[in-house]
Amino acid sequence: MSPPKVRCEPFGDDALIVTLVGEDGDVIDVELNRRVHLLAGSLLRLRDADPRLGRPVAGFSTVLVPYDPLEMDAADAGALVAPLAGAAAAADLPAADDPARTVTISVHYGGPDGPDLMEVAAATGLRPADVVEIHAGPTYRVFMLGFAPGFAYLGPLPEELAVPRRATPRERVPAGSVAIAGRQTAVYPFATPGGWRLIGRTDRRMWDIERASPSMLRPGDTVRFEPVRGASRGASRDPFVG
Amino acid sequence: MLEVLEPGLLSTVQDAGRPGSTDLGVPISGACDPWSLAVANALAGADLGAPAVEMTIVGSTFRVLDAGRLALAGADLGGWVRETGRRLLPGRIHVVEEGSTLEFPGPADPRSGSRAYVGLPGGVAIPSVLGSASTCLVGRFGGLAGRPLEPGDRLGGSGGGGPSGLSEMRTDAVWAVPGDPAPGWDPSRRPIRVVAGPHLDRIGAEVLEALLAARWTVADGSDRVGLRLRGPDLVGAAAGAVRDSWPELPSHGVTWGTIQVPPDGAPIVLLVDHQTTGGYPVVAVAVGADRPRLGQLRPGSTVRFEQTDLATARAALLRQRATLLAGVAALEDPAGPWDDLWRSAGG
Repeated sequence: MSPPKVRCEPFGDDALIVTLVGEDGDVIDVELNRRVHLLAGSLLRLRDADPRLGRPVAGFSTVLVPYDPLEMDAADAGALVAPLAGAAAAADLPAADDPARTVTISVHYGGPDGPDLMEVAAATGLRPADVVEIHAGPTYRVFMLGFAPGFAYLGPLPEELAVPRRATPRERVPAGSVAIAGRQTAVYPFATPGGWRLIGRTDRRMWDIERASPSMLRPGDTVRFEPVRGASRGASRDPFVG
Repeated sequence: MLEVLEPGLLSTVQDAGRPGSTDLGVPISGACDPWSLAVANALAGADLGAPAVEMTIVGSTFRVLDAGRLALAGADLGGWVRETGRRLLPGRIHVVEEGSTLEFPGPADPRSGSRAYVGLPGGVAIPSVLGSASTCLVGRFGGLAGRPLEPGDRLGGSGGGGPSGLSEMRTDAVWAVPGDPAPGWDPSRRPIRVVAGPHLDRIGAEVLEALLAARWTVADGSDRVGLRLRGPDLVGAAAGAVRDSWPELPSHGVTWGTIQVPPDGAPIVLLVDHQTTGGYPVVAVAVGADRPRLGQLRPGSTVRFEQTDLATARAALLRQRATLLAGVAALEDPAGPWDDLWRSAGG
């Protein structure tokens, strides 16, 4: 496979966006996303030396790089960023993930914790127990964080479980809900509106501002889900507080 | 020290924002109108990016617990001292008496902007969370426990004597900058400048042309997350093939000022509480120098957009910064041109 192409363009007057363009266009590509995190990591190190650069924000196949427009212009920023982007596109990726960055999340599947489990089973032609087994099977990657503090987009979800988002989003999804949509899965860190299908819930706090590192999941981590019996603590008390 | 009697529509503690945790999905937050935040702080005698109270359309009611000085900037929310009837105008320092009640019932002038800032000496004393005192409403942290002001909350300044040159003689001075009226005064009076967005190759230049040609109205449901605009259907402006299958992109980082076009064709301008990532095509991005005015628009305001280039945008931002620093320098200098500065603006 040839290395991805690199596009580096202005995004407004105080950021650049680097896009890694793979052979499959917009398809979510694990290798491309690993290169994105490689680039975000090298930009963070560059930022330690050059505070004119802002914190990079990784997307699926992009890195947004803010810069201080009082201190530099887009050409200056591009000259700093482009070599790192080229290096990340061409780098040899490590064969295995760092096991120290694998997070295991216990999930209470189904029942009041996963009100959409039966619907997902019906839509996919699987038994609910199979949905659980398939969801808890793979090791997922944190493709990116967004939507809300600590909300990690995880994937790829096995093809058999790919279901569209709800036509009408819920006004409030309980904190800790484990959800799926398309080829992705996620855990809602806060009670927010949400359109993904809820199949379970965890008691772990995905975001806790009192922790030294408030977000349970960070860019580049890997995640495993582990089914546990019984209902979540949240299901038996205020359903919206995580 | 101020005590909150009535919270108002949405009053929060905000500073220059929290740009250091965007990779964890944390919005930048901070003042929607950073120019007025800086002016309120400069007048109050605080760092320009220090915490202040941001009030929205209908402001809070405060009781003054100890006499002191505060500064106002941004929109004129009709502020007055209930006991004396004295007006509390923006762009000024106000000496307030113990036991008095400060009210901000809402703008009297329909052209007025929507947000006002209350600065206190040294900045509002609020601990920093993830590098900022700003209230993160979605994450429920920062500011006062991550929530808007509530009755009974007490707000004090961090202290410090304020600008060294600011004598009692000057406590009624007006912050007015020559040639650049405050963003809180009729934020619709000039177009918002934008640069072309990164996705025109996907959606076509016609969509940008349609954005620039229209007069937009800020719709209900606009908030610190973003401005929803009402006007022509931008998807309908695209060429046939794109119109029939409006692209959704893999989610990517977005910025304050990003103008997204969702499949319903009604553009959204992202403000400070925006999600850190998005997947709608970006038709244009508002320039940094015009963010303060974006933050002053309110439901019902009209807005137009005008295209500029990166060099012009940067020059405007550098000029704006220089103007701000000249105003601050004038405040710091007892023999300085402060009176001239405000008189030359007709203050």
